[in-house]
Order: sequence, then C-alpha cells, then structure tokens
Amino acid sequence: MAHVVLSLDQPSNYKDSQSRVDRNKQFDLLQQSTTLYIGNLSFYTTEEQIYELFAKCASPEDGGGIKRIIMGLDRNTRTPCGFCFVEFYTNAEALATMRYISGTKLDERIIRCDLDLGYKEGRQFGRGKSGGQVRDEHRQDYDAGRGGWGAQAQRLEIERRREVEERYADAQDGPGAVAGGGGDWKEMEIPSQEGKLKRGRSPDDDGDNTRLGPRSRMEDMDGERM
Amino acid sequence: MSYDRPHRGGGGHRRRNNREDYEDRRREVETPEERLKAAIIKLGEVDVLEEIPRVESQIRSFVPQNVTLLSEAFRLSVTEQPYKIPFYAALLRRLHDSPEGDPPIGRQILEDFWKGFQAFLDRQAWRETRLCIQFFAHCTMARLISPDSMIALLQSFTAVLDEFGVSHGRAKRAALCAGEGLMIGGPVLKSTAPSAASEIINAIQMFSDSTSSSKWVVQPVTKLAQETGLLENADELLDSLIAALQLLDASDFAQSADSFPQPYATYPELTPGAEPFSFPMVLVPPEVIELEGFSTDAGEDAQVKREEWPEYLLRLFDNDVSPNPNTPQGYAIRTALIDIIDIFDVNRKECARLLLEYPKWSLPGTFKPKPGITAELEPVPEKDWQLESTIIETLIGVYHRLPEPSQKPVYYMTLITELCKLSPSTIGPAVGKSIRKLYTALGDGLDVEVSRHFAEWFAVHMSNFGFQWVWREWVPDLALATQHPRRCFMRRAVEFEMRLAYHDRILKTLPEAMQSADAHVIAEQPSRPNFEYDDPTRPYHDAAQSVLNLFRGRAKAEDLISHLDTLRSSLEGAEDEHINVDSIVRSITMQSLLHIGSRSFSHLLNAIERYLPLLRNVASGGTSGSNEAKSDILGAVAIFWKYNRQMVGIVFDKLMQYQIVDPTDVVGWTFATGTGLGEAPHAMSLTALEWDLIKAALDKANGRVVTSRKKVTTLRKEDDDTRARAKANEANPMEVDPEGRPDEAQVENPALTVALKAYTSLTREQKAALARTLDGFISCLVPGAAVHNPHSKTVISEHAWQNRANWGSEEWNAWETWGWYKHFCRMYSPYLRNYSNTLWAVSFSKFEGSTDPAVILLKRIWNTATGQEG
Repeated sequence: MAHVVLSLDQPSNYKDSQSRVDRNKQFDLLQQSTTLYIGNLSFYTTEEQIYELFAKCASPEDGGGIKRIIMGLDRNTRTPCGFCFVEFYTNAEALATMRYISGTKLDERIIRCDLDLGYKEGRQFGRGKSGGQVRDEHRQDYDAGRGGWGAQAQRLEIERRREVEERYADAQDGPGAVAGGGGDWKEMEIPSQEGKLKRGRSPDDDGDNTRLGPRSRMEDMDGERM
Repeated sequence: MSYDRPHRGGGGHRRRNNREDYEDRRREVETPEERLKAAIIKLGEVDVLEEIPRVESQIRSFVPQNVTLLSEAFRLSVTEQPYKIPFYAALLRRLHDSPEGDPPIGRQILEDFWKGFQAFLDRQAWRETRLCIQFFAHCTMARLISPDSMIALLQSFTAVLDEFGVSHGRAKRAALCAGEGLMIGGPVLKSTAPSAASEIINAIQMFSDSTSSSKWVVQPVTKLAQETGLLENADELLDSLIAALQLLDASDFAQSADSFPQPYATYPELTPGAEPFSFPMVLVPPEVIELEGFSTDAGEDAQVKREEWPEYLLRLFDNDVSPNPNTPQGYAIRTALIDIIDIFDVNRKECARLLLEYPKWSLPGTFKPKPGITAELEPVPEKDWQLESTIIETLIGVYHRLPEPSQKPVYYMTLITELCKLSPSTIGPAVGKSIRKLYTALGDGLDVEVSRHFAEWFAVHMSNFGFQWVWREWVPDLALATQHPRRCFMRRAVEFEMRLAYHDRILKTLPEAMQSADAHVIAEQPSRPNFEYDDPTRPYHDAAQSVLNLFRGRAKAEDLISHLDTLRSSLEGAEDEHINVDSIVRSITMQSLLHIGSRSFSHLLNAIERYLPLLRNVASGGTSGSNEAKSDILGAVAIFWKYNRQMVGIVFDKLMQYQIVDPTDVVGWTFATGTGLGEAPHAMSLTALEWDLIKAALDKANGRVVTSRKKVTTLRKEDDDTRARAKANEANPMEVDPEGRPDEAQVENPALTVALKAYTSLTREQKAALARTLDGFISCLVPGAAVHNPHSKTVISEHAWQNRANWGSEEWNAWETWGWYKHFCRMYSPYLRNYSNTLWAVSFSKFEGSTDPAVILLKRIWNTATGQEG
C-alpha cells in the first residue's frame, strides 16, 4: 500500500556501533526482527506500564505476545536510564508497534521505537560515559522525567524514584542474567513425580528448556546471544 | 521519516561513514519515467482542476510513449488514492482527445488498465477490484466505456450473490462492487437499460434480507429479546447501500451528481464517431479454497477462516452534523473516509492529514469551512456538515465493528491521537462530544465488547492528552447500581488509565466524590503485591518465611522441593485433618515465588525460569492430582496480585507460556473461582475482567495451533522439495511428478512426525478450552445448573429490559454475562464451527426439548454464530 506514502514500519538509520554483524546481515535481521528498541522513556516508567501499552500490538491469536522486556539500566547505578527493549514472538507485532505506537505518549512522554537486531548480553546497560545513555551526556535541558539537571525532581516523583532506585539493585550481568520469556510450545513428558528431577541443571541456567527443542529459523535470534 | 538517534557526534570517522552509506542508499536516481509516474500519482497537490491539463500535457509530451508505465501509474493512483478517482477519470477523458485521428493514448491506457483490473480480480483483491469499478463507473459517465458492457460487469458481481453456499464475506464484497458502480454510473446506466438498475438493487436486497439473524449477533446495541428491528444509533453497511441506491433509483439517479464529483461533466463531447471501450465478459473467479487442509486424529480440520459478518457502524450525531449514511451523499462520504482509514494504516500521520484534507476532493459546500476562513460559497442546504465530527464518527464506527475491527484496535486509537495533534481546536471537541455520546449509550444496551473497547480507547487517548477529562459531569451517575454499565465503564477506564500511568497521577484527575473508596471508581491505594503470609500473626507465617528465605537465597529448585516435602509432613502432623495441606503448601510456594518476582515483569520471568522444575513439580499435584494443583496455582496468583489485576493477566500468560498450566486450566479456574477476584460480588457471572482472562487463554490455545500448523506446512514443503529434488536427480527431470508418489512418502522426516504430533495435541487442547468456556457460560446462565446466576432468566425478557432503571447489580451482572456469551460465540465462531457437532452434543443435547427461555436464547445465539441457521 505504500506507493503513495512512506510506511512508518521501516527501521531507522541507526547502526549498533558494537554489533559485529555486517550490514547485509543486519538488514536481514531487521527484516525479521521481533525486538524493538524503545527510547525517550521516563526513568520512572515501569515495565508494567510498557507492557500495558505494547500489549496492544500483540497478536496472541497468531501465536504472538510479549516475550520479554529488558529495561535499560545505568551501568554504574543499576537504575533505569530511559530506554528498554521489548521483544515479541512475531515480526508482525514489532511492525505494528512501529506503525501504531512509536511517536505516541507513554507516561506523558513521546516515546520512540526502532526495530532492533535483537537483544545481546550487555546491551541492557547504558553506554554513556557516566553509565547512562549517551544522549543524556549531551542534554542541555531540564527534564524531570530523566533525572532533571541534577537531583532536583518534582515532589510527586520522589516516591516513585525511591522505588525505582531499589527495583533493579539486584540486576545481574553475564550469561543468563536476563530471562528468555518462554519459547514455543513443546510436547512435555508426563510430569515427573516428586523428587524425580533432572539433575545437572544449574539454577543459573537460562532455565527455558524448550530452547533445547527444535526451533524454527525465525526464532533463532536468541541463539546468538552468547 | 527517520528519527534522530541519540548517537550524534562523537565516535569519529565510523559515524561519518555510516551517514554516507545511508545517503547512498537513499540517493536514488530518479529516471524521467519515475518522474512522470510521480507526477500522475501526485495529481492535485494544490488545485486539481488546474493540474489536470498540466499533467495531461506532461503525459502527451513524454517520448517514447510508455503505456505500461502510464496505466500502472493510473492503477496505483486509483487503488491507493480513491478520493481522487473522479479526477483521474477526467484526466483519462482528456487523454482520449486525439485531433490527429491516431488511436488516443487514453484509450490505450484504459485497455491496459483493464488487464490490471483482471489481475486484481483473479487475486481476489477485493478492495482494489471495487475501487477500479468506481473508476470504470466514472469513465462510463465520461463516455469512455460502453454502458452496456459496464452493466454486464456489474451483473457478473450480482451473480455471485446467487452462488450456492456463498460466504458472507464474498457476497458482501461483490454487492459493494455492483452497488457502488451503479451509484456512480447510474445516470448513464439507467438511461441505457432502465430495468438493470432495479435488478441490481433487488439482488443486493435479497441477499441482505437473508442475513437478518447474523445481523442480530453483531449489532453494537444488544437486544436480547428481539430478533430484528432497526437500530436508532447504528447502520449496517449493506442496508445503507441499499437505502442510498433506492433513493437514487427513485429520482433516476439525479442525485448522483450531488454525491460524486464529476469534473469531466463540463468537458466537450468526445470526438464524434469514437467507439467507447467495451469490456470483455468477465466471471468473478470462485472462492479460493486452500487445498492443503489437514485433519487431526478426530477428523476435524482445525484450519480457521476469518468469519465475515454484517458490518454495523455506530452513529453518534444528527443528520445536520454528520451526513446520514443511508443517503447517497452520506454513503459516498463515509465509504471514502473508511477507504482512507483502511489504506493508510501504514502511516497514521499521513492518514490523519489526508482525512482532514478530504473536503478538497468532495463537492464544494459539503462541509462547513474551517473556522476563521470566510466562506466563499453559500452553504449548500442539507449539507454543510462538520468535517471533524464526521471523521471521528466514522472512526469510532469502524473501531467498534463487531466481532472485531479489521485493523488492530490500537491503530484507530493512535489515528485519533494524530488527528488531535494536527488540529486540536477542531478535532478535540469532536472527540469530547463522541465520548459523551458513547457514555450516554451505556446502559441502553451498548454491547459489552463495545463498552470494553470504549474504555480502552478512552484510557489510551487520555494518556496522550494529560489525562484531562471532565469527570465531574459523571458524578451524578455514582447513584446508579455499582454494576450499571456506566459505573463499570468509569471503573475500567480509570483502571486502564492507571496501568498506563500510576495511581496518584490518576487519582488527582478525579473529583473528590470519585476519590473515596465507596464510590468504587478508583482503588484506595496504589497497586501492590499482597503476600498473605507477611503478617506474623497469620497462620503459616513461619512456614512461608522459611520458603521465602530459600528463594531469596537462590536455593536450588531441588532443595526447595525437598524442603516442601519436609514442610508438608510437618504440617500434616501438626494439624487436624480438615485442612488441605497440599493446597496450603502450593499457596505458600506460589506466593513466595511471586514475591521474589514482584519487582518487575523481568523479575517475574527470572523467578519463573530459575524455578521451572519446582513449578512443574508443584503443578503435577502429587497425590491430589494436577487439576487441583493447577487451580491452586492460579488461585495463589489471584490472591497475591489481588490489588493489581494487570499482573494477574501477565502471570497467567507466562504460566501458560512456560506450560505450567494449560489454557483450559485458566478457563476452568476463571469460571469456577474467578468471581471472587472480579467486580462481581457474588453469583455466577462474568465481567470484562474475567472475560479478559478467558480470552487470553483462548487466544493462547488458538495461537499455538496457528504456530504449529505453520511449522507442519513448512516441514511438509521442505520434505516435498527434498523428495522432488531426489527424484529429479535419479530420473529424467522432465517427468517429475510434483505430487510425489504416496508409497514413497512413507518415510517421514522425524521433525515432521514430531510437529504433527504437537499439532494433534494442540488442537485437542484448543477444543478442550473452547468446550470448557461453553460449559462455563452454560452453568452461569441456565437455571437449574448448580451455580447459576438467579437473574440470568429474568433479564432477557423485553419487559425486564424496559424496567432496567430499577435493576440492581445482580441484574446487570447477568445481563453482562449474556453479553460475553454472545461475544464468545461470534468472536470464536470460526473455531467453534470446526467443533460444532461435538460441542453441541456435549453441551446442548441435555436440553433437548427444553422450553426454558434461557435455554432457547443460549441455543439461538449458538446456532446463529456457528451458522446452523439463517
């Protein structure tokens, strides 16, 4: 349909400077991407608020849904720093987000979505010198939703801030720190009775044993996370 | 259209390279052909009537002549910018002038355009087909196409209506093609063949009359007691088409010129002696039937075709504010706006701009001039409508189409947001008026799904505009019953707003009267976890602490499992036999796990993934069976997230995703216990909240079937390809039989065997979830069942409905439950149809011969939705 107007579901010209994938491969990955980078979030916006809005682009009846949300954190303080990744199960859902949600408000800020190559370990942390996002290094304005100039935030926000600051204090890095969100349905063996557990699984495992099963090519993106 | 990314500056040469790469990609060399095509597509950017001769001469002076290019440009323009169709007909008319007597270029374009039309038709691209017919009808008016062949074309579409067993969707689209072609071309067509017009109208009418029972199921205003009857505030699309056509026919299509621009009407006669173009005969190709159906063990094909229903559009305003869709002018305007909305879903910002620019393409005087602009023309009597109200009414109409809108609901919501941003001073009031009209309709039968959608839109809209709503004006309605649809709406709208924002933010937008707890509008406190065992005085506090501490210390799953075994035996020893130790241990375990996962959605996922073996162990149920265990798990979630219903839905979703519980468990639990959680105080009934849980479970079950079906199809195809290749290698490549020989297909690919097995399991689960839902509704609604709602029978009579001003919460609950049952049947009818025989036998045969009005209504809704009658 888009001979007359540009479609909003095109990826931007952003290039992940730390990605080692070549440009053609990046292009292919973006074509089937199920992950979105979300920017210009308030530092106080919660994953549940994000879930509520993005669920409006989910298509569970086609096997989709929100797979996971990865909150962007300040590298040093482990507090949200205004971005996140939202991963769906299908590409169509990611495109719907670009069309219908990017450029609308969440928590009274206009958020920006971009198709993403897929989450890789370590990307949940800000890359700015101070630990947050690079853009906040250069920001000249006062922005209450993104930490103001300094510590001064509106009174109403103070309570939210305290919660926020504590919320991710336990954030880990390294493999398996970020949950997978659950994979495709898989035939289960009859549930084992008490005690008959598979051994050799460390609790730090990714935990999603459906990942061991056969998976379609489309969803292989996590495979590259390591 | 690209956004500036934060990574500007810094990063040195690498970034510069990126930018160059990017510009290389975008710097497309525009050829003269592309420029000409663009000029045609952009016709009318400023003043269309002036630009037509300019584009005409551009086309004429272009050498070498390229008919394919030109007809493609026309085709794109007609099918993607339908609001300009009359002007493209005018341009084509001018291109038919040929002073030198050569075959006019316009005629060649038309002939090539026709081939493109046939391709649309063969592909069953219905919208494109319909828009081409609109274009042909204008060309007929401009004398470029022979009226006889146009009539024959329209008749081949009405022939579809007589096909045996024609689907509603196909018939509806064919009727629109024929009817709209007649509307536009009527003046010429009727004078050529006076009886043809009424034959077409009658054919559409006959089809429409045959659909009255399906109409009843999808009306946006619920009338449980009546079967038929016109609605005051909604119009069905085909009904509107017929009404408009009948008005036109009565005046011999004199009103056509008043409904559609005819810019070509002032052009001089075509060169005398020039033969108009005659279409070859066409047949509308038969409906596509997917050949590769495959059945499950039970012989039921789980393939699902989206069901098509009559299309009702809500009407909010009076005829002097927005045009009446049952008139030719109103029909033309509303359809044009719907086409813009449907076509431009890829870019809601452009769509908003085009909607606001629509008056440019309509007849002068159709809409009131923009405020501040002095009208050059006298307002046209009986027109002079409000553009913004018309646009918003149309959008609200398509957004609330039942059983579901054609695009994702969020599209319509954010399109309205864009409109408001473009023209806040004019669209804003139209939105406000629409909200008030919809709100007023609540309690007068507005469908439950429409109300739910309305609340969702309201919240998203307010979230984009500072949550500014004049709640004060609804304060008097706090006197209504708590479950009155208006009060349900307020509660839901506030809850949806809070999910997008937070409690304090929304609280301060409400007037004092709505802030108190007994107003039942907003929760008293911000949403929070509710760990039952937190209080040291509660029973099992110590036991829960021991479990929680293990979780906090990241103990291994197997250590937790053995701890739970110990805990279970100690509780069994200590307590009397009246308590269900298994249930308590499950509740403690689940609540503790949710506790460590309560900080955020990600924390929840981490907690679940770390303890999947434990969760599976708990869900297996040990001695008391897995059904009870799963019900306990879901119950613990509902208790823990008692003050955050959004989280209940999220946790259920992930528990299904990780296969700890099945969709059927969620459905069963919701019907059995869900009432404690929802808005309904007691008695078996279903509110929007419980419906959301059930819907999520059904969608999960259906989505899995879709995914697994795709997998099987892909694997089969790979398999076939491999086999075909192998055969091609061994034998003469010319004799390859693409079907493959069945005896060779015996050796199946193991992945395919696994996929087929999964498919069978998943369809079984799908059927179980649907059956459980149907049973749940029946036990709520049928008197005599163990736990029915006492009012399910009383609220369905016309007399009771007339007395609804005296209804209390229980009556409204019963009414809402009926509404969700109806919605379940129409929403999932494509799935239900697949299993209708079994489901009927299991759930309905026991009511054989019953004259109970509730049973009769249950059956009637079921039969209509599953296509057993009408």
